[in-house]
Amino acid sequence: MLTAVKNQIRVCVFSVKYNIMREMLNKVTFLTNILFMMLNNGAFIIQWLILFRLKEEIGGYSIHQVMLLWGLSASSYGLSHILFARVFSLPEMIVNGKLDCYLVLPKNVLLSVMTSATSTSAIGDFLYGFLVICIFCFRIDRLLLFSLFTITGALIITSFSLLMGSLSFWFVRAEKFSMHMTNVMVSFATYPDGIFKGGTRFLLYLVIPVGLAIYHPVHIMTSFDVGMFFTVIGYTGLLTAAAITVFYLGLRRYSSGNLMESGRM
Amino acid sequence: MSRMLKKYTVIYKSVLIENLQYMFNIAMGFISYFIMCFVFIKLWNYIYADPGDLIAGYTKEQMIWYVMITEMVWFGARSSTITRQVSSDIRGGNIAYLMNKPYHYTLYILAKYTGEWSIQLPMYALLATVMGVTMIGSLPGFRPVTLLASVPCVILGVTVNAVFKLCISLLSFWIEDSAPFQWIYDKLILVMGTLFPIEIFPGALQFLFKLTPIYTVCYGPAKLIVDFSAEKCAEILLTQLLYLCAGLLLMFFIYGKGVRKLYVNGG
Amino acid sequence: MVYTQKCVYGIAVLFYISIQLKEEGGITLKVIEADNLSKTFRIKQKEKGMAGSIKSVFRPQTKEIHAVDQVSFSVEEGEMLAFIGPNGAGKSTTIKMLTGILYPDGGRAQILGIDPVKKRKQLCYQIGTVFGQKEQLWAHLTPYDNFRFFGAIYDIPDSETERRIQEFSDIFELGAFINTPVRSLSLGQRIRCEIVASLLHKPRVLFLDEPTIGLDPVVKDHIRSLIKQMNRELHTTIFLTSHDVGDIEKLCKRIMIVNAGQIVLDESMEHLKYHYLNKKIIEMKLSNHTPLPDLPGLTVLKEKNGQVRLEVDTAVMKINDALRFIDAEQAEDITISNVPLENIIMEIYRSENRVQVP
Repeated sequence: MLTAVKNQIRVCVFSVKYNIMREMLNKVTFLTNILFMMLNNGAFIIQWLILFRLKEEIGGYSIHQVMLLWGLSASSYGLSHILFARVFSLPEMIVNGKLDCYLVLPKNVLLSVMTSATSTSAIGDFLYGFLVICIFCFRIDRLLLFSLFTITGALIITSFSLLMGSLSFWFVRAEKFSMHMTNVMVSFATYPDGIFKGGTRFLLYLVIPVGLAIYHPVHIMTSFDVGMFFTVIGYTGLLTAAAITVFYLGLRRYSSGNLMESGRM
Repeated sequence: MSRMLKKYTVIYKSVLIENLQYMFNIAMGFISYFIMCFVFIKLWNYIYADPGDLIAGYTKEQMIWYVMITEMVWFGARSSTITRQVSSDIRGGNIAYLMNKPYHYTLYILAKYTGEWSIQLPMYALLATVMGVTMIGSLPGFRPVTLLASVPCVILGVTVNAVFKLCISLLSFWIEDSAPFQWIYDKLILVMGTLFPIEIFPGALQFLFKLTPIYTVCYGPAKLIVDFSAEKCAEILLTQLLYLCAGLLLMFFIYGKGVRKLYVNGG
Repeated sequence: MVYTQKCVYGIAVLFYISIQLKEEGGITLKVIEADNLSKTFRIKQKEKGMAGSIKSVFRPQTKEIHAVDQVSFSVEEGEMLAFIGPNGAGKSTTIKMLTGILYPDGGRAQILGIDPVKKRKQLCYQIGTVFGQKEQLWAHLTPYDNFRFFGAIYDIPDSETERRIQEFSDIFELGAFINTPVRSLSLGQRIRCEIVASLLHKPRVLFLDEPTIGLDPVVKDHIRSLIKQMNRELHTTIFLTSHDVGDIEKLCKRIMIVNAGQIVLDESMEHLKYHYLNKKIIEMKLSNHTPLPDLPGLTVLKEKNGQVRLEVDTAVMKINDALRFIDAEQAEDITISNVPLENIIMEIYRSENRVQVP
């Protein structure tokens, strides 16, 4: 059992390493992708500078907290796309029957699929998050918490995408749905939770898991709370387990290549 | 000339038919659009403490309608045809086959793209209207007649935007990945004219922004719908035509250079 | 009396031994077993034109297709089997069910006694797959790095992986390009690497799907002899699909033809040839033009400027009778040949289609 886990991890490390090596083949492209993504994210600082000119606090957030929010969103999103980029194109792979080559390997299908690609620009997102923290609100304990929440955040984003993506096993038309749900999560993750009231808050904590991926951690980093901390950790585990279960349930319905493809018009 | 036009009309029509099948997929995008607008409604509701306030000359309703319209254009005109497809045609060598067809590649792409947004954009317009009327109430002082002038502005704006994005995609003749340049262009348009009207920026910057395509792509058309005036309309139309001509010239120039480079160096 | 007792005893022992042998055979020799395997797909339908497009948005229509329809067969250890059929006949679907990629809708399969549905991972250690058109190698890495990766996937210890890479690179002659990135290799070199990657864990069954597609004749021949060698030395069972008759003829001793989701023929290659080779082709060059006799069992396929091509149905007319009738004295040149395997297969495909379409 333990050796199996060890071997599995070894294969995953191999995959991620080779993925990044592939991206690095063209150094100029690799670096522009990373750098421009950081600039791209940086453009939103302008948005917030303008908004904070109009009002001193927005949704109970100061500009520093908004930066913390943005940083955590970027680095979680980044980490999830560096390690598990394929989860975000899972619906397309399911619908077009592209899981075949992962199903003939004696390793965990889900991990093999998820780790089979990476996104270079995500490295930019990931670094941007840490850069923002170091510039705007550096504190050593905060940095440690930030790193931890980047991991839980990445797991939550990945699991949520996996959950939504797995719907394609049942409904071919869900292909685009999961992409939009991931977008929705990102849209919410870059605005302070204080501007949402009542029903929306309920939605953000239960349906779209942005509350526990981003908002809670931001609050914890501002003022530490043990209860909240363990809620985040527990929730991450729960959502991950649920997503994995649904994926394997769906896999039984997987219908591979050619026929499906010729059936699409 | 008429035969030329007919060719591109046929391309346009076949893409239109093809895309009708994907109406359901397009409607999926409503989720993202709805949430985006929802977030902005909440945001402006929070920032406008007193419903009677004016920010940069806009009432709360106008401000929210403004964002909903710019986002509508943004979502309705979104397509990978002018970005990813062009890049992969060029990088993958497919361009060699498309180049030898009896049409101009860039115009072929533009016709195809127009076929795509002809379905998408009206769908989003419908959604925006329904959402706006039900969630924030009708636009104060809006006269439907003005749409006759502002809709052509929206269409021109989308086309100008497409031409510029196409120019960036054509850079793929020289660089491996043009996507990062698209991001930066998109973010300029987004931050300086989509999320809020440019009047919100300090005066000096406003003047600067008016010189860039930002003015013609998003801000202009949306401003016309929210707050119409004939002089403004004429001014925007004129700028758009100027930008369209300049953009097309630039596009043909880059394409010509790229193709020559392809002939010299091979694929 | 004593004699009869001994006899009865002897017979009983023989009977016991034969049962034992049979049972053992039943356990060890059957490598693949398919039992009423079935799979149905639903595919989208659309009426033509704009109206059809709009209609399909609101009321999508689907049609059921029986891709594989109650297929049963078994394969024994060390066999080389050709599994062929026209496009869309259900070959790939069957292979995918055997390898655990697809779940069957009905029936069951066992490979080496393992049910692919229940123990997919365990099965993967025992089988290898090569899909000629799909790449499993990382294009930007060298074959060597790729093999190391596959070694890790199949939990082979590093030293052992190293040893096997050496072994296979000798057999498959990879030495010259083992350190060149895969994307810079020729198709033939790449396919050899693909096959080695699938063999590294020494699978007992190898599924080859169009392994020689797009290769030139010399490389094709090389690959075929390597596959043969592997079957001989490692005793690997080979399950091959191909549209290339050469592959089938050179490699396989048994042939199974599927059409419209059903097995329409399952015979040994020899039997197939014997069965369908009751027709001979006679090609002749005649010195002067003589009218050919019109006889039962003799069909003129082509006749032009003294060049004649005849088909003789040996079930009706013996070949030497045929030669007597056509007056071989006149012949300047004569060739007698079998109907090519390709034509036989084509005929089987066609005749099955006729059954299908009423």
